[in-house]
Amino acid sequence: MALSKRIIKETQRLAEDAVPGISAVPHDDNLRYFDVTIDGPSQSPYEGGVFKAELFLPDDYPMTPPKIRFLTRIYHPNIDRLGRICLDVLKSNWSPALQIRTILLSIQALLGAPNPDDPLANDVAQAWKQDEQAAIATAREWTEKHAKP
Amino acid sequence: MKFGHVFKETLRNEGFPPEWVDSAISYSQLKKCINRLTDELAQVGLNPSTLGTLLKQVEDYNASTEQNDDQDRPFEYILAGDDSAGLPREHRKPFHPKLLFYVDEATGEVHSAKLDEDTRSKLQMLAVATGVSQLRVYEEPDQQSIASKDSVDPPSPPGGVNSASGIRKRPGYRTVEIPLTSDTEFFAKLTSQLSGLEALQDKEEKRMHAQIEELGKQVAHLTDPDKRLNKKLIPVWRQIFQIYIESGIFFGTTERDHKAHDADKAAQRFLEFSDKIARQGLVEKFKKPESLQALNSFMHVNREILQGLRFGQINHMAMLKILKKFDKQTALGVKSTFPKQIEFPEFSEHLAKAVCAEVNTQVISHVPLLDDYSCPMCMELKWRPVKLRCGHVFCIRCLIVMQTNKQHKCPLCRELTVVDANSANLDLELADFLKKWFPDEVKAKQKYNELMAGIDQYGEVYKEKCNVM
Ligand SMILES: [Zn+2]
Ligand SMILES: [Zn+2]
Repeated sequence: MALSKRIIKETQRLAEDAVPGISAVPHDDNLRYFDVTIDGPSQSPYEGGVFKAELFLPDDYPMTPPKIRFLTRIYHPNIDRLGRICLDVLKSNWSPALQIRTILLSIQALLGAPNPDDPLANDVAQAWKQDEQAAIATAREWTEKHAKP
Repeated sequence: MKFGHVFKETLRNEGFPPEWVDSAISYSQLKKCINRLTDELAQVGLNPSTLGTLLKQVEDYNASTEQNDDQDRPFEYILAGDDSAGLPREHRKPFHPKLLFYVDEATGEVHSAKLDEDTRSKLQMLAVATGVSQLRVYEEPDQQSIASKDSVDPPSPPGGVNSASGIRKRPGYRTVEIPLTSDTEFFAKLTSQLSGLEALQDKEEKRMHAQIEELGKQVAHLTDPDKRLNKKLIPVWRQIFQIYIESGIFFGTTERDHKAHDADKAAQRFLEFSDKIARQGLVEKFKKPESLQALNSFMHVNREILQGLRFGQINHMAMLKILKKFDKQTALGVKSTFPKQIEFPEFSEHLAKAVCAEVNTQVISHVPLLDDYSCPMCMELKWRPVKLRCGHVFCIRCLIVMQTNKQHKCPLCRELTVVDANSANLDLELADFLKKWFPDEVKAKQKYNELMAGIDQYGEVYKEKCNVM
């Protein structure tokens, strides 16, 4: 299927007007598949970490949201062991007017503000609610261990 | 290289109009004032290091919270004229700075332990001569008559610091002004030059305004879509303006760079812009001399903005440098206080901002750009345009796709306006406008929409059949 003008435009803008702390580069052989990195937000336990993710635009994009998954291990109540992300705009709250860059910004914001009441990784959310300080310490450890460039 | 030299060279070599050069800050004259002032100070025994030490004490004193010790506060240097700072420049009071020191009313004894004998006796002579010589005794301004601007200060106790002037009344002491003329001269010169720069800026802005207005008329004429001869030229102008906007010459337009650019950066961006339109062969597409002339005049306006930016910048730099020199040679510490009292006319940024805005509204706006008429969903031209009840406009193809995918809500505002949209929602007025300004894009999009409608109806085979035909 031919690449839509929309995907071309989005890709161009991602390269030319990059968002600080976020990169998304399409594969040469599949322009719907992006290598993504997101810097951990400052003043979060992910600060200093660079988190790799993969992003894929399905055929009916933008009618359906991009599929995105973390590749770097991350200790976060809304991200599970497989790197899947629980974020409303990626599911029920998706709108075709949202774009790759807005989605990546939302994910970066999610790193800065974990939401254990709407968990995906149940054990992490549990730990987060029971002892937030300890959970943050673990998140920091994981960042140190897995996400250092 | 010394700044004075660099400044002179820049003024000479940058091709500024002679009138500008005449209005520039006269760095070397101001420098001479400073030298004279140094001499004046030396005559009363105040060399920069002595004065520096004394004024440092004043600073420390002002900074300390316990303002109960008068012993080490022998001097004040006051840049008067503060209360008129908010007024238009022509109504401001002339600048009259005062260097004051405290003496014992009875003996004329200078109030500081830190002065060496020589300086002390010279100052004492000055003080004793008060009343019989040219020495002026500084009259305290009436405390009530001065509106306290620094309301952060606690109310002054009787005889305490007058927050507006910084003068402290002390029983048994009086303030004596050291007779200096070169500093008044310095500030008078500098402020009048700043006024001159401001006037020049106003004049230039008016001149460029007229020029841009004229250019706007020209471009409007050359891109009138109702004239058949213009048909081929509109896309060229559009491309040039598109590149111009994307080049972000005077202001950044990206997340990482969204501030006003300095002259060097703007010049570099402008060069990139010229290169780009040259490389894309856009200039050659203008065959008519009127088109070329309009493009030249567009480039010229931009070069003038650049030059104004550079001129403002170098003069601002000259002002900061000369104030720094003033402080270094006299130790009077004005660099930090002076710019607050009389600000530098924002020639550069202000002019660039105003003129750029005009270029946008008067010139570029004549040619609608594709980005402003693209569908928020497919990012192609919104043809045919469908206006939903909520007011948001999409192309008809995207509306169909949304409806078949049961996307009932408007993607932009999430109102339930997609579900009940129908042919009555076609925006005919906008359609006419798009046909007029974007004939090629309309044709391409129309073809694409028809193809997709065929696929909807007959499946993917339609595409192949269509291609064969
Ligand atoms: Zn569309
Ligand atoms: Zn809407």
